[in-house]
Amino acid sequence: MPAIEFRHLSKSFGAVAALSDVSCAIEQGEAHAIVGENGAGKSTLLKILAGSLQPDRGELRLDGAPAALRGPREAMAHGIAFVHQEMLAFPNLSVAANIFAGRELTGRLGVLRDREMRERARTLLARLHVPVDPDTLVERLPVAWRQLLQVARALAMECRTLALDEPTTSLTDAESSHLFAVLDDLRQSGVTLIYVSHRLPEVFRLCDRITVLRDGRSVCTLPRRGVSHDDVVKAMVGRDVPARAAAARSGTAGLTRLRIDRLTRRPCFEDISLHAAAGEIVGLFGLVGAGRSELLETIVGLHAADRGTIEIEGGRRRFASPRDAARSGVALVPEDRQRQGLFFNLSLAANLAVPGAEARRAVLVGRQERRDAEGLLARWRIKAPSPDALPGALSGGNQQKVVLAKWLALEPRVLLLDEPTKGVDVGAKYDIHAIVRELAARGAACVVSSSDLPEVLAMADRILVMRAGRLAGEILAAGAGEEQVMRLAATEPGAAA
Amino acid sequence: MSRLRTMRELSTLAILAIEIAFFTWYLWPGPGRPHPFLNAANLLLILKYSSIYGIAAIGAAIVIIAGGIDLAPGAVIALAGVVSGGLFVSAHWSLGASVAAGLASGLACGGLTAVLVVPARLPPFIATLGVMGIARGAAFILTEGRFFDVSGALPPGWHVAGLPLDWTAPVLMAALALIFQILMTRFEWGRAVFAVGGNEMAARFSGVSVGLVQASVYTIAGVLSAVSGVALAVVQGQGKADLAMGYELDIIASAVVGGASLSGGRGSVVGAVLGTLIFGVLRNALPQIPGATFYDRLIVGLVVIVIVVMDQVLMRKGDRV
Repeated sequence: MPAIEFRHLSKSFGAVAALSDVSCAIEQGEAHAIVGENGAGKSTLLKILAGSLQPDRGELRLDGAPAALRGPREAMAHGIAFVHQEMLAFPNLSVAANIFAGRELTGRLGVLRDREMRERARTLLARLHVPVDPDTLVERLPVAWRQLLQVARALAMECRTLALDEPTTSLTDAESSHLFAVLDDLRQSGVTLIYVSHRLPEVFRLCDRITVLRDGRSVCTLPRRGVSHDDVVKAMVGRDVPARAAAARSGTAGLTRLRIDRLTRRPCFEDISLHAAAGEIVGLFGLVGAGRSELLETIVGLHAADRGTIEIEGGRRRFASPRDAARSGVALVPEDRQRQGLFFNLSLAANLAVPGAEARRAVLVGRQERRDAEGLLARWRIKAPSPDALPGALSGGNQQKVVLAKWLALEPRVLLLDEPTKGVDVGAKYDIHAIVRELAARGAACVVSSSDLPEVLAMADRILVMRAGRLAGEILAAGAGEEQVMRLAATEPGAAA
Repeated sequence: MSRLRTMRELSTLAILAIEIAFFTWYLWPGPGRPHPFLNAANLLLILKYSSIYGIAAIGAAIVIIAGGIDLAPGAVIALAGVVSGGLFVSAHWSLGASVAAGLASGLACGGLTAVLVVPARLPPFIATLGVMGIARGAAFILTEGRFFDVSGALPPGWHVAGLPLDWTAPVLMAALALIFQILMTRFEWGRAVFAVGGNEMAARFSGVSVGLVQASVYTIAGVLSAVSGVALAVVQGQGKADLAMGYELDIIASAVVGGASLSGGRGSVVGAVLGTLIFGVLRNALPQIPGATFYDRLIVGLVVIVIVVMDQVLMRKGDRV
């Protein structure tokens, strides 16, 4: 009888199916990996196990009995503990208080048994080899130790199952090894581990069996023995590669418009060198957290680089702000249109006018603004009721096209795009790809950063792969396969060769 | 951690001591005349008036530590004062019943805030702004502008539990501060308040009943404000709808000066009470300095800023160690 069993789980958010008919059984005492690309449904599955989401259909069974968990407290009562990807710590409380938060040892009437908690915290920290005093405030701890605190929390509640969601995202290699040593210990003592990750070496290092999710469906469960990285990668990405429209384009590259050399901003990215010529589309692929957004943001001056150089058309530049960059013809279309791309309180016309007016220090003229907006909406085939409409009235895809259009109005010579088709429908995706290609054909240099592999393969002339803040390799798009790119993005440097 | 917190309270105490030393020196009288500031009657006066702020500041500090804000204390003080004063003087209720009714009005205000913030999910600033208007409005409607002279209606020589009347509010403040300090530092509930204010998401994931904790802090703050109001009416004999105008900002300032962070998760009940004493001394001593009459609000404002800036500079230094 499996300790935990997901049976035919389905969960939708609006029209988007996050999980459809996912089944998976986890035995008591095993280390079970759940892998998949971004958006494959891993996090949704964990949230159902944590009780913070309820499935639409299907059921969760614990020790063979159906269980509907309605919150973290109930999950804990079943001995399930979590190590979350985000740093869920209380910076204002001591290490001991963090370990016992929500489950304090108390005497009568809820008096805290502080001394006992401190002593138990000391023992737990020693077991995890974390040399920290239980009285230290957590805000003074390095990030890795905060992550280990979550493990200490789980140990303190004597959990039978520990579920970890991408726990090594913000850890260095040494810190990760430390975590794995701890997890090995736990498994020896009979704790069931559920390990969610898209980092295959970690999965192979730790786990007995691997369940692959793809597009919200469970593809297969493989035993670690007898399968290779490639088998798993194939299962993760295994879908038809869309026809490569990019391949039809002429390969003639012109003047180098953007060149960066050994650009570094610790701890986000290090020693990144790349160049993009007029008419070229360079793909920047990597998993979430690889440092792509930070790289693009640093180029346009949102962050300061530690070292390295940026050249625009041969001249060395260091932009102070995106406005500064826009004046030199460098534009960034940001990742998050809700937070970074649009003013939801302003009309489309006002939204479209902002970068241009800012860059030229122009006075806004209402009628001119409206006429320009009408032109842009028509030109980029944006479906909007009128230039006076608010962005909220548009579909996600059309909103994204507005974000693009407002920068295209400046005729940028270097266009940086961060996840340009995140959360848009297939039709809008196609339109956005066409817009970028058109721009490149007119002589702009484009850098498209994406965690959507088919998109990068379809659009880019060359693909640069980033892993954990460094360049892992460069591939000419013509002839590149999904597996080849994924292997670069998800494996250790040694294993890639 | 308890060591750190104690240190923060000691520094507030040190500021208070420096302040008292300064005014003692500055207002030192000519030979043969009594000291205008440092005398028993004046110090009792400071304590007596500060305790109205101080009792409410205990609740304000707890709300701020939980990551919220409460703008209602001034209005709730006035409402509780006129409810108990009016019932006692005009309706001839017994003293006990009048006090209970005054406290109940605070409980109602705090409970209303809790409902608005927790199930209705209003931002605390808006919810308590609304409750402030409701409480102040109710006080005006109930009194129709009348003034209740509670001290005149009390039997001559009346006092609480053997205390001289003037000492009642300060002793009440000290006792409540001690009780809530212990609740906040030694009990599960207090730890949960700090956890919710420090990281609400993490508190939820840790199985803390975030809603219950938030509801409890606003309810407690309402009741404590009402205790202030009842003390104002019964002990100091005043019941009037336009009393305690603007107290909420002084009370919040006291909590902040006493170490509370408006981003939540930090602060202390005792610190907030010491903060009200710092302001109480300022309000008492500044008017005694010739020519300073028109400067006292300005100086109070500057003191808030200086103390909080100092605090942050010291914290940043501490981080680097």
